Amino acid sequence: MFFDFHLHGDYKLAREAEKLGYHGVALVVHSKDCKKQAETLKDLRKTIIKDGNQDDGNSFSLQLGVEIDAKNPEDLKKQVKKFRKNADILLVHGGNLKINRAATEDPRIDILSHPYRNRYDSGINHVLAVKAAENKVAVEINLKYFLLTRPNQRHRVLNQFQQIVKLHRKYQCPVIITSDASSIYGLRNPRDVMAMAPCFGMKKEETLTAMSAIPQEIMERNKIRDQVIVQGVRLIK
Amino acid sequence: MKLKILPTHLRDKKRYLAFQAVSEYPLERDDVISLVLEASGDLYGACGTSKLGLWVVKVWKYNSSEKKMVKGIIRCNRNEVDAARAVIPTITRFRGKRVVFQTLGISGTIKAATTNFIKLKAADD
Repeated sequence: MFFDFHLHGDYKLAREAEKLGYHGVALVVHSKDCKKQAETLKDLRKTIIKDGNQDDGNSFSLQLGVEIDAKNPEDLKKQVKKFRKNADILLVHGGNLKINRAATEDPRIDILSHPYRNRYDSGINHVLAVKAAENKVAVEINLKYFLLTRPNQRHRVLNQFQQIVKLHRKYQCPVIITSDASSIYGLRNPRDVMAMAPCFGMKKEETLTAMSAIPQEIMERNKIRDQVIVQGVRLIK
Repeated sequence: MKLKILPTHLRDKKRYLAFQAVSEYPLERDDVISLVLEASGDLYGACGTSKLGLWVVKVWKYNSSEKKMVKGIIRCNRNEVDAARAVIPTITRFRGKRVVFQTLGISGTIKAATTNFIKLKAADD
């Protein structure tokens, strides 16, 4: 079972991903687009439900995600509160150290997207890794970021990925591999991605966890999120 | 004088990767070769590439008005299949236009790769 939890696009792109061998994807919209057009999220959900119901009987799962682009930690908190109920999956557009820190400290967030963006280091250290493991915020390994970097700069990206994997081994913070594709030119065969993972310093089992087990965990957790009062306590209706 | 061919147990063992490529600019066989070798050089360097034993065996063109697609077979060393497979998704651009390579499957013979992954019928030609 392979999942890709970061796709920017419509239902057609999800179908293409299914053809390549993915068992589930998350279609992600930017939080800015939701602000400008309040209907974006609702419209996407409607089309997903409508098109998804046309072909019953297959196990392909479609999720709806929001990528939050926040200016500062306060803004992040506000937006998380706003989008948590409407979206299945919450991603945070990382890269800024303050945002990275705030995102790893919030259990309502599912994925911290590219914390290494426009940086020379990986954007997370041992402190953030511990927090991410506690709050179960998955750190994203973004394939688009790797593939679209110039070849003479790619060693830097690989090094950032390796740092994240190192922290993942020591502190068990979850790691997830996503494609961040916005057209068919960004989609890759999941088995090709698995073959590529040794370049990031990941072993085969770790790659499988990152592409299959972690996304499933996120889905499971989000199913019961409404019933959870505090961490570890659940109200059964 | 022609060199005598190596005995079978001394020859390099091979595997065949069937792939498809969708591009905005139509691809020829020479383009595929240069793209694959360039990508491998970028990822592993000259030393690493030499161990993979990459060779583009055959390329079929499936160009239509809406989609420009090629399918083909790449040969690689049997011990380095995963490393060779990792080269294929790293190809992103060709002459400034977008291109994407995806593996269809791995096989031990050219015939099986063609029938199972590319033509899906008979490998007569």
